[in-house]
Amino acid sequence: MEEKVDISVEFAGLKLANPVFTASGTCGYADELSDFMDVNSLGGFVTKSITLRPRKGNATPRIVETDSGMLNAIGWANIGLDAFVEEKLPVLEKLSCAVFVNIAGETIDEYVAVAERLSGEQAIAGLELNISCPNVELGGISFGTDPSQVSEVTSAVKKVVGEKVLMVKLAPAVTDVSVIAQVAVDAGADALSLINTFTAMVVDIETRKPVLANKTGGLSGPAIKPIAVHLVNKVYNEVAKSLGIPILGMGGIRTASDAIEFIIAGASAVAVGTANFIEPGCAVKIIDGIKKYCVRKNISNVKDLVGSLDQDLTE
Amino acid sequence: MSEKSSTAKRGAYLAAICANKQIGERFYRLGLEFSGAGAEAFAKVQAGQFAQLDVSGAALPPAETIPEELADVAGRKVLLRRPFSFVDVTTKDDRTLVDILYCVVGPATLRMTTLAAGDSVSIIGPLGNGFRVPEGKKTALLVAGGMGAGPLQHLAKILTADFPGIEVIAFAGAKTAEELPFERQLDKIAQQLEFSLPEFAKYGVQSLVATDDGSAGFAGPVTDCFSEWLGKSDSAGESTVIYSCGPEQMLTRVAEIAKARNIDCQVSMERRMACGIGICQSCAVECRVAESNETIYKLCCEDGPVFDSKEVVFSS
Ligand SMILES: Cc1cc2nc3c(=O)[nH]c(=O)nc-3n(C[C@H](O)[C@H](O)[C@H](O)COP(=O)(O)OP(=O)(O)OC[C@H]3O[C@@H](n4cnc5c(N)ncnc54)[C@H](O)[C@@H]3O)c2cc1C
Ligand SMILES: Cc1cc2nc3c(=O)[nH]c(=O)nc-3n(C[C@H](O)[C@H](O)[C@H](O)COP(=O)(O)O)c2cc1C
Ligand code: FES
Repeated sequence: MEEKVDISVEFAGLKLANPVFTASGTCGYADELSDFMDVNSLGGFVTKSITLRPRKGNATPRIVETDSGMLNAIGWANIGLDAFVEEKLPVLEKLSCAVFVNIAGETIDEYVAVAERLSGEQAIAGLELNISCPNVELGGISFGTDPSQVSEVTSAVKKVVGEKVLMVKLAPAVTDVSVIAQVAVDAGADALSLINTFTAMVVDIETRKPVLANKTGGLSGPAIKPIAVHLVNKVYNEVAKSLGIPILGMGGIRTASDAIEFIIAGASAVAVGTANFIEPGCAVKIIDGIKKYCVRKNISNVKDLVGSLDQDLTE
Repeated sequence: MSEKSSTAKRGAYLAAICANKQIGERFYRLGLEFSGAGAEAFAKVQAGQFAQLDVSGAALPPAETIPEELADVAGRKVLLRRPFSFVDVTTKDDRTLVDILYCVVGPATLRMTTLAAGDSVSIIGPLGNGFRVPEGKKTALLVAGGMGAGPLQHLAKILTADFPGIEVIAFAGAKTAEELPFERQLDKIAQQLEFSLPEFAKYGVQSLVATDDGSAGFAGPVTDCFSEWLGKSDSAGESTVIYSCGPEQMLTRVAEIAKARNIDCQVSMERRMACGIGICQSCAVECRVAESNETIYKLCCEDGPVFDSKEVVFSS
């Protein structure tokens, strides 16, 4: 039976061997993970956020553990576009899984410059737009919380990406995530990924200061999983399903069961984030577990599982 | 141990617990046994390297034994692995025995105390770069603060075994005699001003003890004890190397002393780590760029944890 189970998926026109990705910022530029897993066994891979110029990132502490989760305020520390193209792309070029480069910026021009430079690269299947960044031209308000900003940055990037798949990564802490999702799709997004982290804070009661040097950080890990499943299901029902837009679901996935929850809720593929830090090869186990689940449930094609939740959550 | 290429390949391994002995009020020594690929990987560990332990599955100790100041955090579920360096590494047949000296400070280390022979833990390692031995050194001075004494014991062993031409002297400090993480004869330490700790003496290494409250050895910070000793010694700067591990404030002071006397100095830095393998960027250490005023962040887990003290911009 096992051989008959098909866990390959179509994702915005890409043919993926399986529905499992590793999430931006939690798997480096691929070579770091290679001591622990065969990165090629993934369905897809997302790099950490790349910005136009190199960024040093924030002071430390940059992370703190919380109940079943962690906060991070790395500050988009990355080597910048030029070094990425020179040093990291050659490694990514060798991968057979779908490679997405996550791009971040502080102005629309920055996003566009990075997207334009990468759109001609053979090694890349698509771009993931990290819109949880402060727009410095608008006093630092996050692109991702403002529908008009989401629309503007998405359509500006869409104009320069050519054939590459454009995936927009949604921030969860918004009044209505479906509104943002709809705006992104209207502006040209071929796929949606969610969720990014929740802004959060941990206070040191001895010093009465935030633990993180940046004061706040993004909450990730198992703690956010039920919220992420809900938001994926909401966006699936209210936006993605009718438009045929695939969702890359993430937030707290550690096991195949977690991944399957997201798929049932409406995700066409899933991404493993924080769990990579604890078990760097866990994505492989998750792929295997999805296959086993399909066998056990007599599902011949994992696509049949996508959005198979029998009850709608929509009010 | 001066070549990075001599380091075995890092990986995720399962280790069997063979001992977990309480050696002080807050201190334990955990014995781990590796076989197969893990034994091979850990056999050539450098002093100062570390590993990431997953102790999330270990049980909490009984509530009544949990120190009051940890009662609130004790119940927190442990998610991430925790970094630990090694106090000793030995090989026996085709197995490798790795000892970790640890202090109970929070939920993960509390859980570690319940690990017992027969249990196993998942370990990622060996990780990072350990202490290096530059050419032409005749004297190695080991300066330990608190738990820093662990990896420096391992270093003392390697130096005395592999570098017979180098004289090794250790300095170990803590706030009080009780907080010195050594197994035996703490009461004796208290009685003597200059005491050779058995943990170092067994490698033929002389040691000096300092406590802030004077309850054992030199009364004052170990850096004062060290600086005073240096003032009296006749070891030449260029043939001496200082190795230090402990709280950052102490490392800062050791680096100043080394700089003033123009002595090579390597410090082992600590940062909160999520991955330990260079992925998450959480463990940034601010470093000077040679011949410029610029600084960059290096990664404690990949570029360190051992750094040249001249390179580091200390944060306390
Ligand atoms: C490379 C490296 C080697 C280490 N080797 C040893 C060792 O040999 N023996 C040993 O006992 N400990 C060692 N540590 C420290 C050890 O990792 C922490 O004590 C442990 O993670 C604490 O976990 P916890 O859940 O018990 O406490 P937590 O609740 O995680 O921490 C308790 C308190 O300690 C502080 N803290 C925790 N981790 C760090 C850190 N990495 N840097 C600075 N402050 C921190 C925080 O202020 C926190 O409030 C090492 C750390 C590093 C980075
Ligand atoms: C340390 C860390 C760094 C991250 N860096 C990025 C990043 O650079 N760009 C981005 O879009 N998301 C980043 N993320 C968010 C993750 O990609 C993911 O959306 C989020 O962590 C939720 O998934 P998880 O709970 O499985 O980790 C980061 C997350 C963590 C924990
Ligand atoms: S701990 Fe993750 S990069 Fe160093």
